[in-house]
Parts: sequence; C-alpha cells; structure tokens
Amino acid sequence: MVQKRFSLLAALLIAALVLAACPQPAPVVQTVQETVVVTSVVTQTETQEVVVTATPAPPTQGGVFVSASLSDATILNPILSSDNASSGVHQFLYPYLIGGDPFTGEIVPTELAESWSTSDDGLVWTFVLRQDMTWSDGEPVTAQDFKFTYEAIAAEAVETPRKSYVELIESIETPDDYTVIVTFSEVKCDGLGDLGLGILPSHLYAADFSDIMTSTENEAPTVSAGPFTFNEWVRDDNVTLLGNDAYFKGAPNMDGLIIKTVPDAGARLAQLQTGEIDTLALQPEQLTTAQLNPDLNVYKFKDDGYAYIALNLANPENPQPGLDEDGNKVEQDPHPILSDLSVRQAIAHALDYETIINKVYLGQGYPMAANVVPAVEWAYNNDIQPYEYDTELAAQILEEAGWVDSDGDGVREKDGMTLSLNLKTNAGNTTREDLGALAQDQLNGIGFDIEFEAIEFGTMVGEMLGQTYDMVIIGWTGLGTDPNDDVFWRLQFDTPGSGFNFVSFSNDRVDELLRDGLSVPGCDPAERAPYYKEVQQIIHDEIPYVFVTGSIGNTGYTTRWQGVDPGPWSFYHNVEKWTIQE
Amino acid sequence: MFRYVLRRLLQAIPTLIGVSLISFFLVNSAPGDPILIRTFDPKITEETRDIMRRQLGLDQSLPVQYISWFTGFTVRVGDTVEEFQSETVSCDFVALLNTTFCDTGGGIVRGNLGTSISTNQPVWARLVERMPATFELGVAALLVSLFLGVPLGVLSAVYQGSVFDNITRFLAVVFNALPAFWFGLMLIFLFGVVLGWLPTGGRQTVSLTNEFDLMDRVRHLILPTAILAFGGIAGISRFMRTETLEVIRTDYIRTAKAKGLAARAVWFVHALRNALIPLMTILGPSIAGVLTGAVITETIFSWPGMGRLTFSAAVQRDYPMVLGAVMFFSVLTILGNLLSDILYGVVDPRVRLS
Repeated sequence: MVQKRFSLLAALLIAALVLAACPQPAPVVQTVQETVVVTSVVTQTETQEVVVTATPAPPTQGGVFVSASLSDATILNPILSSDNASSGVHQFLYPYLIGGDPFTGEIVPTELAESWSTSDDGLVWTFVLRQDMTWSDGEPVTAQDFKFTYEAIAAEAVETPRKSYVELIESIETPDDYTVIVTFSEVKCDGLGDLGLGILPSHLYAADFSDIMTSTENEAPTVSAGPFTFNEWVRDDNVTLLGNDAYFKGAPNMDGLIIKTVPDAGARLAQLQTGEIDTLALQPEQLTTAQLNPDLNVYKFKDDGYAYIALNLANPENPQPGLDEDGNKVEQDPHPILSDLSVRQAIAHALDYETIINKVYLGQGYPMAANVVPAVEWAYNNDIQPYEYDTELAAQILEEAGWVDSDGDGVREKDGMTLSLNLKTNAGNTTREDLGALAQDQLNGIGFDIEFEAIEFGTMVGEMLGQTYDMVIIGWTGLGTDPNDDVFWRLQFDTPGSGFNFVSFSNDRVDELLRDGLSVPGCDPAERAPYYKEVQQIIHDEIPYVFVTGSIGNTGYTTRWQGVDPGPWSFYHNVEKWTIQE
Repeated sequence: MFRYVLRRLLQAIPTLIGVSLISFFLVNSAPGDPILIRTFDPKITEETRDIMRRQLGLDQSLPVQYISWFTGFTVRVGDTVEEFQSETVSCDFVALLNTTFCDTGGGIVRGNLGTSISTNQPVWARLVERMPATFELGVAALLVSLFLGVPLGVLSAVYQGSVFDNITRFLAVVFNALPAFWFGLMLIFLFGVVLGWLPTGGRQTVSLTNEFDLMDRVRHLILPTAILAFGGIAGISRFMRTETLEVIRTDYIRTAKAKGLAARAVWFVHALRNALIPLMTILGPSIAGVLTGAVITETIFSWPGMGRLTFSAAVQRDYPMVLGAVMFFSVLTILGNLLSDILYGVVDPRVRLS
C-alpha cells in the first residue's frame, strides 16, 4: 500500500471506499484545478445568430477512453483481489453498498443503499436499498447479493486477505430483498468502510461458496452492475470494457473503456502525449511536460498520503513486541541513539523541508506537522506548526544532550557511542533516493554519520517490519477519510515481522486516545476530533516519524473528453456522462 | 546419431536436477516474503497472512518445500487431511508417524510447474500465454540481426582496416553499449511522440474488438525489434568478421585465389560458407533466447512477453512462477545447445556426433 508505483488513481478510488463509519460533516479537501490555457490568435470574428432550441442536443455518443496501469490485474473478483491493478478494473463492474463524495470523501447514498440508520448503541446499521439497480443480465441487485458477498469473505472455503473486513460483523440479516441489517460486535467508528467492497452476483455462484475461488467469473465476469461490462482480458496487455446499457445511473455515452498495461513510466508519459492513453497519474518530473501540452488538462489535489522518515525507537538488535502474550506492556529495549528525544528533535530540525519539497518533490508537496492530513479537516490539528529547518538549533540540541564531537572527526559522540545511523529506502524510487542523499548530507552536516542505502522493496519491507533498521524513508498513500491510524502507533501493532507499529512507538496516552476515539458512542466527528488532535500533538512532540511532506496528486487527462470532473477521492465518479469531442 | 541425442538428453537430467536445486534455494534465499509483499496493508492481519502461507506451504522448511515442488508429494505433522484434501489433492494420515502425506498431483518431475501465487493460474499456462508475443519479437530480432549482421561482418573482413570496417566496428561497440532502457525511450520519443510515425508501445493498437491487423502488428514490432537487433547485429557482425578473417588466412582460400577464381566466388562460396559454421555455435543458444524474451525491451515497449512475465514474477516474489520459468528456460537452453551441436555436425562433416 505504500508503494508509490501503485497508481495514485487506484489508490484514491480505494480510499474513496474507505469511509468513516458515522454521518459527519464533510471534510473539505483543498483542490486546485489547473488547466493549461492555450492562447490563440483570433484573426476573424464572425457574428452568428444563436438559435435556442427547446431540447438540448443529445450528448455525443461513442469513443473509447483509454487509461494505463503499470501492472496487469491479477483477479477480477473484489473480495479476492488485493492489488490496485485489479481493483482498477473491477471497480467498473461490481456495485457498492455505499458511495463516497468524490470531492469531500464523505459517505453518501449514491450507490446501492439509498438511505441508512443506526441503532442508539451504534451497533446495528439498517440499509434501505434502491430497487432500480440490476445486473447486466437483468437480475436485480438485492440484499441477498450483499449478504452472500460478506458471508463468502468469512467462509472457510474462501482464501482472501479481506478476512479482517468481517471480523467485527456479528450478523447480516436481510428481512426483504431491499433491506440489509448489519450488526457489529463493537462500535468501531471507521468500520463502515469495511462494507465498501464490491458486491458479487450471488446468482452466478454456488450457495455454499465452493466455487468462489475457481469460478471463471474471476477472470471473465459475465455480468456487471457498474458503468461497464467486461469484454476481454488480454493478459499483461489490456482489458477492454463495454458501456453497460443497464447501468442504473444511465448508460455511458462512450462505447467503452480500455485499461492498458504500460509498465514503464517514460512510455506512459509518451502515450499520454500521443493520445494513445487518455489519463495518467503524473509523477512530479512529468508535470511540466503535461502542463505545456495544449491537449492535456492537469488536475492537482492534496491527497491522503504523506512521506516520512521512520525512526526506530527500539533496539534493532533486539526487536520485541509491544505486548506480551497476556496483553501486558513490554518495556522495549531502547534504541541506543534514536531513543534519545533530543536526537530525534535534532533530525527534525536538520532537514531543509522547503528545499526538499521544491527540489526533490518538484513542488508537489506541503509541510506536515503530524500524522493527520489536512484533507481530513475535522480531525486535523491546525495549531501544530511543522518543525522548522534550523541547523543551529539542531546542533545546539545535540550539544545540550551531550552529543559532542570530541575527537574532531566531524562526527559527534556521547559516552563512547558515535552518532552513526543507517538510513534506507527502496531502490528505484528516485524521489526517495534523492531525499535520502539530501537527508544524509544535511544530517552529516551537523555531526551525524549517516550511511544511506537504497535497497530492493521486498528487502526493505522485511527489515522494516522486522524492526531491524535505524531509519527508513517511506510513505503512506490511500489513508482514507478517517483519521484513525491506530495500526501505526498502538502497542498491539508492535509485533516484529508483521505489525505496522514498526517504530515501536509506546505511549500509554496515545494508546488510550486511539482506542477511545474509535469507539465514541454515536461516532460524532465533533466528539471524536479532540482525541485525534491530542494524538497529533503527542506524535509531533515525540517524533517517531519525521514528516517530510504531504502528498499532492496530479492527474493528467486529454482535453478531448468533455464532462470529466475529477475529485481528490475519485476520477471516474461520473464516467457515464463523459463525451468525446468531435 | 540417435544414440548421441539420447545420451545428450540423459546427460541433461542431472543438469536439470542441479538447476532445480540451485534455483530453488537461490530464489528462496532472496530476502522478501511473497505473502507480505502482497498484503503490505495495515488492514490485513497477521492471522490472514499465516493462513495464506500455510495454504501455499510456505510455512514448511525449505527442504520440504523443495521436495514438494519437485515431486508433488508433501508431508505435514499431525492429521491435516481435512485441511488440505481437495479435488486435486489426495491425503492420507499415518497415525503411527503422526504425519499426513499428500499427493498434489503436481511436481516438476511430472511436468507440472505448479501454480502462480499472483494469479492462481498454472505456471505453464501463463508461460504458454506469453510465448507468441515473445516468439514474434525474438524471431524478428534474430532474423534482422542475422540478415544485417552476417553481411556487415563479412564486408568488414573483406575491407579490413578500411573506413567502412572502422565505422562498422565503432558503431557495433556503441550500439552494444547503449542501455536499452534509455535508447528505447529515446526511440519512442523520436519516432512515437515527435515524428508520430510509430506507436509508442504494445503489440497492437488496442481497441474494443482487438482485431488482427498485420500492418498494425508490424508497425508495433519495428521499434522493439530495432532495440533488440542493434545488440544482435553488433555481436554477430563482430563474430562474423573474426571468423571470416580466420578463414581467409587458410590454405584452401589461398588455393582458391591462386587458381584464379573470381573474388566474389572466393568470398561468398568458399570463405562465407566456412565462416558460417562457427555461427551455429552461437545460434543454438540464441534460439533459446528468442523464446525466453527480453526483460528490459519488453518492459519499455509494454510488450506482453515472457521476459516481462519472469521479471515481474521475481519482483512480486511469485516463487513458482519464477522457478517454472527458470526450469523452462533451462530446458530450452539445453535443447538449443543440443540442436546447435547436431547442426554443426550436419554442416561440417569433419565433426562427428559420437
């Protein structure tokens, strides 16, 4: 999920599905629409009489929209797939229970559920389904389809990484074809997002789930309830989809949509330039080329991700879990250097964020102070200021903490320990490699001895989750619309080899806040916000991560399509209305 | 001849077993976890990962995994018949040993390369799927390399030391040294974006019908073939130049010249034919190369071939896919070498196959 190489669009579309559990005010996402204006000289002006007709002209029909994916899909089943390339295809084929506002990320009743209500204790959710949604073979999409899908995830015969999506679901009842009642075993304010997977056509599968894993539907879905139907999948080359005339929001104006596999970034940009593809999530270094091209629009937005340097607070030689088998807190063997808060503060002050954002991220970023992105406005703590670049202050902090260069070799020592640390990132991600080189330079400038190394992604993930590193440059994408990120900070997720609290962050107050913030009865954002604002303050002060930059996404798309209205949470939300310019 | 081929094929067996052992332990000793790399998502729990590992047998020790991959038989402590028995897998629990023995029906000895972790398809099916694209590009590149490389090499030898020879040799070094990932993008930019003459990638123009159009296919083939052939032309022309130079110093060429044969007859009847014989030795392995694909070129040009398949399988830690491809390529290489040895005997009567 952290890999930048995954399509940002796909990440956003997934993020759009990861929705907060409770009705809440819309988090406002700051968006900037950038359109390159082409100045043309008008040599002749003609006066035309405009005839106003009573009925507007019907939208132009036809055309094929082509997008590019960097890898091929693996399986076209929404409950079995776990890669963005697959969801990039099956998002067009399967219906969803709940929708997300493409601009705010707020949960909206734009899909199968047309309204819902919750019980007073927040455990029982009742969804009323729309009755005009059908599969492309004419069968109605019903409550049974939803129940079948979620029971399939839980079924023993089904091997899927999505098992955790049903963990808190106690029961799913369908009193009639158009009512779904989901009972949760505990209140989990971000749990509604778990109900956002694509829904399977139950009438095409065995009732005992025995053919879920092997069905040909996984490779060539015969029905669809989304804007397109499946046409053909040429492995490693392309997937073609045709407009679905039975789509409940109206048949798409275009004939179809093609998702091509184009693994090389340079080749993807070339294809966007020649019009062979219609859209691309642009990398920062591709932005200028796209902006200068009069045939392209660029949509810029603050997305739900950030880049950071993880600081291992525990001894990499002795990774320990945060809790023992009985659930008691384990005192961590501290990192010999990074457990010292002053060292972490010095690192946070030693980095020139402005230069990093301008030179490494080519301006496509913004400073971050803590772990919640401003896109999640209601929970974002505006009062915290990002650490300022101040090498003198950084040096002074180190001096005061006893880290001094006594032997004049340019590297500070304390109690016989030199300020030597390794810094790693995944090779091939040139942005992170550049950041690593710059950070190494800037830290060494104030008396650190940083050994920077770019290693293969799988190896890095192994070291990171294994907690055998000092510092790692990485990022999160697709964090979604809920501020809950307990897996990064809570003790129970500090499990060497698998847990995502791989910095071994151990803070009782944060543990408590994140637990309680997720189970506020009623899940009112106003009531939840203080929990997350305090968490941000503590994370900011304790510096388990050095927040380098928030992510800005840039989507390039050709001007030949009319009606494209991208939002930060979805590019394709109104795809059925797009028309090709003649 | 028959006995020779049979003996060579029998000799291939220990080679293949060796390849299987080395590649299996090499692939498995690379860092990275095939499950983790697929499930690097905070929403996926470790329990789920453990179940996935167990289903794939990745929780077993490496020797057990190897035996299972090689023979198709697997063992597990305890009664796990219920858990692993399926339509394709038959299991028996031996209470005395407290062990379950399963026959998965697979195993590379039985010609079953296993199942890809990424797509859950048979490895063999995925390889077969990519073969046409790889073959198409490989054959095109090989033919262009031969048809341009051989004459260039011979002409270089004929005009040894001339401007033509020097330019050819210089260009051969340059084209051999140009990295495909850079040169490929430059060609895409020039011919695809700036001039707009050729498509920027793919095997054909993608449309909703994906109808076969020969000219369209050829247009898509030009740039990737060029990239692959540049290296081939460079290699073959240099090889041919050396061989031709060696041949023209032999007695029979001197004799041919002495008896007054026309220069053309000397060069192309006597010299070329003899110089071509050693080419067989490099041709056999190239035929295997034609089928194994070219990783970088296929990636740059979005070519759905086997090189890219193997490469992405390696990146995704799809062990069965990588190993299946390695075994397949090994067999091809062995057969390619055998073929070139046999052809060598056919074209050169001095070589006896015994």
